[in-house]
Amino acid sequence: MAAIVATNLVKHFSPDIRAVDGIDLDIPDGQVFGFLGQNGSGKTTTVRMLTTLLRPTSGSAHVGGIDVLSDPDRVREVVGVAMQDVGLDDIQTGREQLTLQARLFGISAAETRRRVEQLLDVVTLADAADRLVSGYSGGMKRRLDLACALIHQPRIIFLDEPTTGLDPVTREEVWRYVERLNREGVTFFLTTQYLEEADRLCHDIAIMDRGKIVAKGSPADLKSSIGTDRITLAFASAEETLQANDLLRGFDGVSDTAVTENEVAVYIRNGAAAVPGVVLALADAGLSVGELRLAQATLDDVFLRATGHHLQVDRKAETPAAGGAS
Amino acid sequence: MRFLTSTFLLTIRALRESIRQPANEIGNAFIPIFFYAVTIGAVGGVAAEAFGVEDYKGFQLPVALLQGAAGVAGGAGIALTQDIQSGYFEKLMLTSTPRFALVFGRMVADAVKALILSVVVLAMALLVGSGFATGVVGMVVLLLASGAFALAYSGIGVAIALKTGSPQAAQAGFLIFFPLLFLAPTFAPIEVFQPWLEFIARLNPVTYLLEGMRALVITGWDWDALVKGAAAIVGIAVVTFTLTAASLRGRTSG
Repeated sequence: MAAIVATNLVKHFSPDIRAVDGIDLDIPDGQVFGFLGQNGSGKTTTVRMLTTLLRPTSGSAHVGGIDVLSDPDRVREVVGVAMQDVGLDDIQTGREQLTLQARLFGISAAETRRRVEQLLDVVTLADAADRLVSGYSGGMKRRLDLACALIHQPRIIFLDEPTTGLDPVTREEVWRYVERLNREGVTFFLTTQYLEEADRLCHDIAIMDRGKIVAKGSPADLKSSIGTDRITLAFASAEETLQANDLLRGFDGVSDTAVTENEVAVYIRNGAAAVPGVVLALADAGLSVGELRLAQATLDDVFLRATGHHLQVDRKAETPAAGGAS
Repeated sequence: MRFLTSTFLLTIRALRESIRQPANEIGNAFIPIFFYAVTIGAVGGVAAEAFGVEDYKGFQLPVALLQGAAGVAGGAGIALTQDIQSGYFEKLMLTSTPRFALVFGRMVADAVKALILSVVVLAMALLVGSGFATGVVGMVVLLLASGAFALAYSGIGVAIALKTGSPQAAQAGFLIFFPLLFLAPTFAPIEVFQPWLEFIARLNPVTYLLEGMRALVITGWDWDALVKGAAAIVGIAVVTFTLTAASLRGRTSG
């Protein structure tokens, strides 16, 4: 059964601002689905529509088999959501916050007490449970926010950039928790700017650019679609770089090339075997290679080909103050 | 049932918040008590001679109660903007609880706080010598009217908060009360008003509210005044609740 289905989903904030411009999704149960894109690409708007926080301009969407437009209350019962900015009440304690969240989902008082204790242990906040949230570090707030999203045991969880701003240790903790829940059958819809996050966690990803999905598939399939390996060649001038690009575009086995500054990236199968031929061809054309690197193609290469630019990660959020793994 | 349970839970949360941040409530209590004392001091001595009000302390008691209730009722909107700005309101919106309960809990908390403040103001008025024509039962009705007005009036600030997300704009919900109060028989009976002011005052629901509450304090069980006062509260509630519901729907339409 499909966990999330969207058909020609559109959100326009005004005739000129097409935040989401007709996307289709069909995400099976039990998958970790990654939505990759830069800030402003439409990822969060999509999450807000699928979780009933925002009404689509047009199109349709079903989450957990339930229509988000005609039955939003039931949709909210089957989804858990942790948005990019943790939405917590500083004047409540962690325990009070989790308890209120559970009770608002209609969970009985006794069951709420059981689940709150269990989740506080899972997110390692048991010791801080009775402190006001205003005293929590960024990492603790993120974990509490995640616990709030899980308190009603949803089948489908939306995580909007769950690890943005987190230090590497806390980020690893969140990843492990996602993997564990997914093994238990929970479907995840994850937006991220981190390629390694998408690569590690996601069964399938979609790349979003300016409101549209520009590439979709498993990370392995997407990488292999542009060639298994990448040879990166650096030249002394932009002119030489362009000449090399023209030459290598037609080289045997090359599936694609991309130029950035004074470098050409060549996507090719069996790159190690192809290197001597590439270097000789360039030498015959009078082009001198300054540097050569051989690597497997990455999701960044996929992103570059799909969007025409590298994925710019918003590093501003990653301040130590926001991190705190305590 | 779910609506009532959620409203109760969110009322408790809002009251807990007030206990943890008492400064706002102290400010809300100061204003009506200050104005009550100053008005009695300035006008009380000449009220009987000037416009025939013998018990001016009783005459001013409903004014102090409404001032206190309106001040408290402005708190729901401001607190809601804080929830909106922190993102917590969105987290509440993601629960499956009836959405009107998410704001109604805060409004009921304001009514409870207004009720508590009204007990303080009433006790103070009785201590300084205000009369009370309808006894203990009348006092209970007066306190309930105060709380009901706070509940109804808090809808203005909440509607503005939902629409704008701005604490400054939500604060304006409280300020709207001042023209309404001064265009009503606040300092003197309506009978001594100039005709133009009387005409305006007769269109103002606060006039009927004040006259109903004053009947309990000064005149006795004047059912005509009480029914009109109750109708004024219901009228305010219908308008503010409708605005609140519309603003709540607007938050998801983007």
